Amino acid sequence: MNPIVRIVIVVLYAVLGLAATGRSVYQVLTKFSEAPLPYTLSAVSAVLYVAIAIALWRGRRTFALWGTAIELVGVLTVGTLGYLAPALWPDHTVWTGYGSAYGWVPLALPVAALVMLVRDRRDRRARAARAAVEPAAPSGTLS
Amino acid sequence: MGVYSGVILPLVLVVSGVLALVGLMTLFLPRLHRVLGIATAATYAAVAVHLVAVIVVLATGNAAGLVLTLGYLLASVALLPLLGIGRLGTPEAAAGDADPDRPVLAPDQIARVDGGAAVVIAITLAVLAWRVLEILEAGA
Repeated sequence: MNPIVRIVIVVLYAVLGLAATGRSVYQVLTKFSEAPLPYTLSAVSAVLYVAIAIALWRGRRTFALWGTAIELVGVLTVGTLGYLAPALWPDHTVWTGYGSAYGWVPLALPVAALVMLVRDRRDRRARAARAAVEPAAPSGTLS
Repeated sequence: MGVYSGVILPLVLVVSGVLALVGLMTLFLPRLHRVLGIATAATYAAVAVHLVAVIVVLATGNAAGLVLTLGYLLASVALLPLLGIGRLGTPEAAAGDADPDRPVLAPDQIARVDGGAAVVIAITLAVLAWRVLEILEAGA
């Protein structure tokens, strides 16, 4: 993983985690009964953002990959359902309108993170495959 | 409230704009890292002034929701440590961590990481300050 991209993505997840945590704590503590589903989803997204930020920083690649994939599915599902079934959403979540209230960062960020993580996984596999072949190379060159 | 909306908020927005600009330039010109340090210090000062100003506005009879306003202020303070996060990638910082995945950065990479983080934090601080203004105006 490019360390610069990795840390900037960690910062973005930390900022989104902070925003979603503040939003969900306020919503759950003050008006949870008004819109339980959106406020629960806000809390879930907050936990997910913080967990992904920690996983990316600590190098827990598989966890981060699954987390960002779940996040992307969540953004797309909630964003689409917001248009198809607006009655389900008496109030907004972080993922409403594909994250439009947050400058669509909730939609763009998991895509960027997934691209980085998938490329990293591919590179690691290629390196592992090369490392497995290389010990045999000297004997091959002798023949 | 007049001083807040006429002086303090513009100050925060200008400082955020400068931070974003210097951060963006540092991404491409790592030698500007020193300038970014100055912009970071100015941002700390602007956030502190903003914090005091909002507390004064709240204390002088503004009916804005206390939890929401203080929540946004707390968020803007909590963001500040992310400025200069590149310091966590110095070889000295990484040496104290047994984690093999801990990124170890060269000086130019540290500057670029700090630049990228500065852009993110500057935008977020400006949005938070704007939200605080909206809340205070609603409570005025």
